[in-house]
Amino acid sequence: METTIQKIAGVETDLKERIRVLEGVQKAMMNLLEDFNFEKDRLENSQKATLNILEDYDMEKIRLEGVQRAVFNILEDFSEEKVRLVETQRASVNILEDFETEKAKLDVVNKELEREIGERRRAEKELEFFNYSVSHDLRGPLRAIDGFSKILVEDYRGKVDEEGMRILNVIMESAKKMGRLIDELLALSRVGQKGVVKNKIDMRSLVDRVVHEVQRTLACPSVRVVIQNLPDAYGDAILIEQVLTNLVSNAFKFTRKHDKPAIEIGFQDGKGEVVYAVKDNGIGFDMKYHNKLFGVFERLHREEEFEGTGVGLAIVQRIVQKHGGRVWAEGKVGQGATFYFTLPS
Amino acid sequence: MKGIDVLLVEDSLTDAELMIRALKRQRITQDVLHIRDGQEALDYLFGEGLYAGRPPENCPKLVMLDLKLPKVNGVEVVQRIKSEEKLKVIPVVMVTSSKEEKDILRSYQSGVNSFVSKPLTFDELLNVVSEIGCYWLLLNRSSENIN
Repeated sequence: METTIQKIAGVETDLKERIRVLEGVQKAMMNLLEDFNFEKDRLENSQKATLNILEDYDMEKIRLEGVQRAVFNILEDFSEEKVRLVETQRASVNILEDFETEKAKLDVVNKELEREIGERRRAEKELEFFNYSVSHDLRGPLRAIDGFSKILVEDYRGKVDEEGMRILNVIMESAKKMGRLIDELLALSRVGQKGVVKNKIDMRSLVDRVVHEVQRTLACPSVRVVIQNLPDAYGDAILIEQVLTNLVSNAFKFTRKHDKPAIEIGFQDGKGEVVYAVKDNGIGFDMKYHNKLFGVFERLHREEEFEGTGVGLAIVQRIVQKHGGRVWAEGKVGQGATFYFTLPS
Repeated sequence: MKGIDVLLVEDSLTDAELMIRALKRQRITQDVLHIRDGQEALDYLFGEGLYAGRPPENCPKLVMLDLKLPKVNGVEVVQRIKSEEKLKVIPVVMVTSSKEEKDILRSYQSGVNSFVSKPLTFDELLNVVSEIGCYWLLLNRSSENIN
């Protein structure tokens, strides 16, 4: 029996031990469960946090997708702009090229014009020099011809017969005439050089003045002169005065042989111009020569009949043409002539 | 020892002969020295070069000269004369073919007393020379300081 009680006591001790162990285990298990719950809570929190993070992440993802879309739009717009800019740039380059071509063309034209201006100026200078030369140098020998002929006449009067005197006179008259030709040629070329300075001209009073001056110089008071109420003209007064002087002088000159000489100065309105006319009842001319009238040194009459070098009308034509006008004439042999010239209004 | 009446500075022999003859014909003077270029004229007036030793105070009563002269031209000769104390009192008459305005202006600016255009015909030249001579040698009063 003792052994059984010992055994039971030993079993009880074992069992108590085992209970103690089991209680310890149970406690440990309870701790574990607590830890486990704890962990579970933690994990649940983690899970919640992770879910929150996932939600935030989704939202961010959506935002980022929105941003990405916006960026793509911007990139598209940017691409379009870039294409447009490239086109604009291409167009600008084309314009610049065209501009360069035009500029090059203009440069060529300008150089050409400058060259021409240079040539004209050189030609003008040469002409001026030529005129000066003519004026100065040709007169010397002329003077010598005239002077020494006279000396011959004076110092050798007894030794020269009538025929000799006549010959000497021809020499002297020729020298004088050459002097006049030189003067007229110079006058003609000077007209070519001078520029035209345009102002309003009171034609009526200018013609009055010219007629009086011509009458005085040529000393023919008995000519009947009618002057219409001429309209004002627009031109260079000095040059137009020259035109009128030449035409009026001619009118007086060629009516000298008439017993009732008459001159009329009138006008006609035209399109954008005024036609002025100087009419006389003198000896007139044959229309078949009307082309020659305005030529330099052209004359239709013999020297003995009417003096003059044949430059007067050439000067008239040159001056009128410089004003942008025209000259022409009509005439009938024995019945007078009319000389017309136009001036732009 | 006084100076000559007229110093004629003229390049052209024919013109000079005509003018000297005119002065003689019109009984203005025969006391004319003809010099043919500007440098020699200056030499004469200043008593230098070819005329070294000639006293400049014995100056001519009248100088007639052309514009176009060899070596030294007319305008320059006048400028030299008119800037020299002893010589600026001499009357100087420019007698030239030129009628150009710029020549006339240049001449007066250099100090000429008178500018006359050479006429085309001898008769006119006689008149012109006679008038010049009469005026400058007879009518015009010069200072006693010139001989």
